[in-house]
Amino acid sequence: MTSSQAGAIREHAASPRVRGLPLANRIDILTETAIERIHEGALRVLDRVGIEVRSDRVIAKLERAGARADHDAGRVRFPREVVEAALAQVPATLLLAARDPACDLMLDGSRGYLTVDGNAAEILDLETNERRASTKADLAQVTRVADALPQIGFLWQPVTARDEPIDVQPLHEIATEFANSSKHIQLMTAAKPEQARGAVEIARIVAGGERELRERPVLSAFQCSLSPLTYDGQPLEAAAVYGEAGVPCGFVAMPIACATAPATPAAALVVSNAEVLAGIVSLQLLVPGARTFYGACGTVMDLRTGAAACGGPEDLLFQMASAQLARRYGMPSSIGTFATGAKSADWQAGVENGLSGMASWLGGADMLCGAGLLYGARVYSIAELVLDTELFDLVCHLAGGVPVTDEDLALEVIEAVGPGGHFLAQPHTLRNMRRMWQPRVFGRETWEDWEAAGRPEPRDLARERARKILAEHEPIPLADGIEDDIRGVIAAYASD
Amino acid sequence: MDERIAALREALYALDDVAALSITTELIDGGAEPQRVLQEGLAEAMLETGRRWNAGDVFLPEVVAAAEIFKRCNEIVEPALIAAGGRTLGHKIVMATVKGDLHDLGKSMVGAMMKTAGFEVHDLGKDVPTEKIVEAVREMHPRIVGLSSLLTTTVPEQRNVIRALQEAGLRRSVKVMVGGAPVTEEWATEIGADGFAPNAPEAVKVALELAGDEPKAGAA
Repeated sequence: MTSSQAGAIREHAASPRVRGLPLANRIDILTETAIERIHEGALRVLDRVGIEVRSDRVIAKLERAGARADHDAGRVRFPREVVEAALAQVPATLLLAARDPACDLMLDGSRGYLTVDGNAAEILDLETNERRASTKADLAQVTRVADALPQIGFLWQPVTARDEPIDVQPLHEIATEFANSSKHIQLMTAAKPEQARGAVEIARIVAGGERELRERPVLSAFQCSLSPLTYDGQPLEAAAVYGEAGVPCGFVAMPIACATAPATPAAALVVSNAEVLAGIVSLQLLVPGARTFYGACGTVMDLRTGAAACGGPEDLLFQMASAQLARRYGMPSSIGTFATGAKSADWQAGVENGLSGMASWLGGADMLCGAGLLYGARVYSIAELVLDTELFDLVCHLAGGVPVTDEDLALEVIEAVGPGGHFLAQPHTLRNMRRMWQPRVFGRETWEDWEAAGRPEPRDLARERARKILAEHEPIPLADGIEDDIRGVIAAYASD
Repeated sequence: MDERIAALREALYALDDVAALSITTELIDGGAEPQRVLQEGLAEAMLETGRRWNAGDVFLPEVVAAAEIFKRCNEIVEPALIAAGGRTLGHKIVMATVKGDLHDLGKSMVGAMMKTAGFEVHDLGKDVPTEKIVEAVREMHPRIVGLSSLLTTTVPEQRNVIRALQEAGLRRSVKVMVGGAPVTEEWATEIGADGFAPNAPEAVKVALELAGDEPKAGAA
């Protein structure tokens, strides 16, 4: 390669709309024996203890499909053969399609994708930096920033639209996100079948029809268990609505060790695993072959206050072990990542989220959920969103490993420069230096420049970057008439 | 000819040494004014490279690569320039890594960045004896002399150079800048240097201040 080709490399470095985390080099944190013991433990729990389902109608349906029901106790038990047969029906890979096909995500174990974290009821105001109740306008703002950040692969609902009526809040939320981003949307808040029906209608409008949505699901969803070992009836019915429409619907357990799960990590994993499998098996019994995924977002109780701790080493173990369990069952994983307990984008947030990103990479998470939350997932911060994407970017680079092609080894270059020379202006340097990771908010300026700028912290630079994105980024708009049609759907569901 | 000079600038931006050298040769052999080739071609390309560095579009290794191409092209232009009695570039700056120190790199980065600000850079190399630096100042009348040391053991040589310049009666005629990893503002003050910078881009700012104004390419 001549030196003139170095310029061409620069053109080549144009950034894609979505950056995925290479999942090579992952490690299994659980030994083969350990993972089988946790698996067998969960099967035993599902068979002997079962789960409570708070809906006679759903219990009856599950019973007809092969589960053992105890109607008086509201309990459903799943024999081993039922579980194994149901899991065998789950598709191994998952397409999360996007309005902009350049943002399509194929979850096949090769790459992990980051979402904005979600469902905070409060936000740190970008201008005043004060904590306040979130609104639909905040949701639009965060979504626009996330649409511009290539490290964000898909979208949860970062904050709730608290200024809209509760029954149609989820519909307002996906409508707002579809209007402000062309990336895939994963709805976390539609836990009632009516809301799921509304969401599917909206997604069909965006996708262009019923068949189009099935072929290119621009929407996915998930339902949560109530730890320990309980599901409301409505989320399971909602999951079936999604399943019938071809919209992927996963199940996510959010156990808190010492409180809603046992104290030891292994036991918490047994409970968490049983809950996720119960959801997935139920969905397969209701809609055979439905697209789904395995989600876990575990933490421990803070022993002094009783609150969810969020961010400690146990969380990291849960992340890696849960991703490994999902792999064992042959389905994509959605893994709680980056949920610091810190109240500001400070040292604690940096350490907890830096390690959390590493754990999800090493564990091999397909979906990393997600960026931007503070205070144990209660307060959304746009600065933290930008900082988390920087961490994700760093981990992506790390996951690239050390390639050793001839170009990478560069033995001729070493020989040409020889002892005492330098590599600064070598064509090899010029064409490879842009492969090096470049920070956006980490400070690498001189002490003098740092002082002259008023000693800025990375979070200050992150806020600036968010403001710049908001001033400059224009999401791909929805086609004419789509927003009116969506408003019509929301109005219809609101009046019910 | 304007087109070929523009092509020369483009060759420097693309870091295409083969094209840059052949266009320079073609221009000089074809009777182009050497002063124009230097000012509007080579020096303007370095200034623009500096602007691109400021904007974050270009990295330091590219500035150094451009400066090396600049140097090789200038070797073609210079004889013609002298023959034509033409002027040189902006303020002269003489640079050296002091005696006993084989670290060339920091100084090369500073030299390259100085070229992006229009300075005429004379690099004396590494492990340069004090007498040679004094001689260069006497003969070239530079505006600035830049002294680099990377080792704590060679840093004292910077003081020796300043003393030698004083003894030779040349100290008042030239501004002295010092740099290198172990060098601090305090050290610079202690040995009576005029300027210090922690890195190459800062060095350019300090040099521009010391030179008194922002020299344009081709300004005498």
